[in-house]
Amino acid sequence: MKKLITAAVAGALALGASMAQAADNITLQLKWVTQAQFAGYYVAKDKGFYKAENLNVTIKPGGPDVAPAQVIAGGGADVIIDWMPSALASREKGLDLVNIAQPFKRSGMMLTCRKDAGIKTPADFKGKTLGVWFYGNEYPFLSWMSKLGLKTNGGPDGVTVLKQGFNVDPILQGQAACVSTMTYNEYWQIIDAGLKPSDLVVFKYEDQGVATLEDGLYVLGKNLKDPKFVDKMVRFVRASMKGWKWAEAHPDAAAMIVLDNDATGAQTEKHQKRMMREIAKLTAGSNGALDPADYERTVKSLMSGGSDPVITKKPVGAWTHMITDKALK
Amino acid sequence: MIWIVGSVLFWLVSWWANLRMARLPKSRLTSVAVPTLFGLALLVLWQGIVRGAGINPVLLPAPTDIAVKFASSMPILWADFYQTFVKGALSGYVIGCGAAFLTAVLVDRSPFLQAGLLPVGNFVAALPIIGMAPILVMWFGFDWQSKAAVVVVMVFFPMLVNTVEGLHASSAMQRDLMRTYAASYSQGLRRLRLPAAMPFVFNGLKISTTLALIGAIVAEFFGSPIKGMGFRISTEVGRLALDMVWAEIAVAALAGSAFYGCVAMIEKIVTFWHPSQRRG
Repeated sequence: MKKLITAAVAGALALGASMAQAADNITLQLKWVTQAQFAGYYVAKDKGFYKAENLNVTIKPGGPDVAPAQVIAGGGADVIIDWMPSALASREKGLDLVNIAQPFKRSGMMLTCRKDAGIKTPADFKGKTLGVWFYGNEYPFLSWMSKLGLKTNGGPDGVTVLKQGFNVDPILQGQAACVSTMTYNEYWQIIDAGLKPSDLVVFKYEDQGVATLEDGLYVLGKNLKDPKFVDKMVRFVRASMKGWKWAEAHPDAAAMIVLDNDATGAQTEKHQKRMMREIAKLTAGSNGALDPADYERTVKSLMSGGSDPVITKKPVGAWTHMITDKALK
Repeated sequence: MIWIVGSVLFWLVSWWANLRMARLPKSRLTSVAVPTLFGLALLVLWQGIVRGAGINPVLLPAPTDIAVKFASSMPILWADFYQTFVKGALSGYVIGCGAAFLTAVLVDRSPFLQAGLLPVGNFVAALPIIGMAPILVMWFGFDWQSKAAVVVVMVFFPMLVNTVEGLHASSAMQRDLMRTYAASYSQGLRRLRLPAAMPFVFNGLKISTTLALIGAIVAEFFGSPIKGMGFRISTEVGRLALDMVWAEIAVAALAGSAFYGCVAMIEKIVTFWHPSQRRG
């Protein structure tokens, strides 16, 4: 009898305690596979920053065939990481994506070309084959080609575009003269595969004046009308930015945390440590709040696409400071 | 609301109409009207539910949106069709089925090959296309050659098995008759065994039409120049342009049905003597 009462009291206490501590669930959809590009979020999870804000965050890795905008449209995530061109293009298609934070200040996208394909300047792209990612990553490239006045459907006066997959094989096998690379990822894959930096010529989108804002946090606009959701996001952004600043200060430890969370086992320590150091260069200088000047630059770049702009109208309501104002107080 | 009510009403009425028509004696008119009405009812139901329930076009577009996109993108759809179907699927189909047919004739000649080649062919056929396609893209490049290679791998074994079966289809009595006419091996092949094999050969050809289209489209997911049905489907999904995806699906369905129909028509002409061609 005594045991029964003790057990019942313990059970009631536990129930009360768990109800008081019931953490809010958030699902975050990443833009690519688990790698140091998303170190801030993994650090925030592993170091307990999310737990301290009473959040239970599920991080879903992406991949070459995952468009985060589609995942959130289908209800598979509460918040996604996406690049601004893809988010604005989806917005124009009728999906109400709103930028709530911008951890990445600079663009890491670049086109890496083989010197032996005869390329020294962008003027040499004519008649060559260039590898490009799709699934939302093609917009900065299309914008740039429009600016250069190069048609993308082949022919001697334009460029032939190849849909790139998860790897840099087209440039290694000579199927393409250039491939799209990120400063922190694919460029190093090419170096690891044996090509030397002296064999390659690199065009950074930042230097070409066609850089667009990359990894940002986006949610559906209708959810921002719910005060509970807004509160969840404020805590999420606060903890995530704490994670990012910790990762910038401790790149090697952050890389190890990312490796621990990599379910595929495909990432290597050397690659992740290198990636984290490069990513820190892109996030440095951002406290998470979107700089409206950067936003305007991106919009201008996307709308100046000549005959085939990525977006046709200036977006309205595509970003908000309501989350970062509260989170970074 | 009115959309949903209206479309459900239409569906129920056409269901009743179809039941009435199905009970009448089978004529040209009823055999065309019943499936057409059924298909139309499905489309109307689809349209009604999408419009009535306000489904986001990013998830499921309405048939009218798809039709508009189809009509306005004809040049793109034609270019994609040409790249995937004509250059990829058709060339792979011809090479694969041709090679399989010749191999079957050789296999028939040699019991050694029969015992050895068929199990190997079985193994190759079991390899998943999702695994083979990236490897073949790496070997043959991004253009239509790798897509044709994937199609060859997919259609070779079914066609081989069917043709080998077909060459065994002539009965012992018929082969004995050929021997009494002093027919040589090649004469027997040409006059008796190949014509007797035709129903099986066409069975293989019909199966291969569907496999060829699937192979060509799926192979394009793994690397392609920026045209082709598989490329268009996968990238337009990424751009949330689902109406274009459905337009491509419609093209693929039409192409696949037309291809199958053509082969079936040729089969009717060649195997007119077979019991399955009796109209009854």
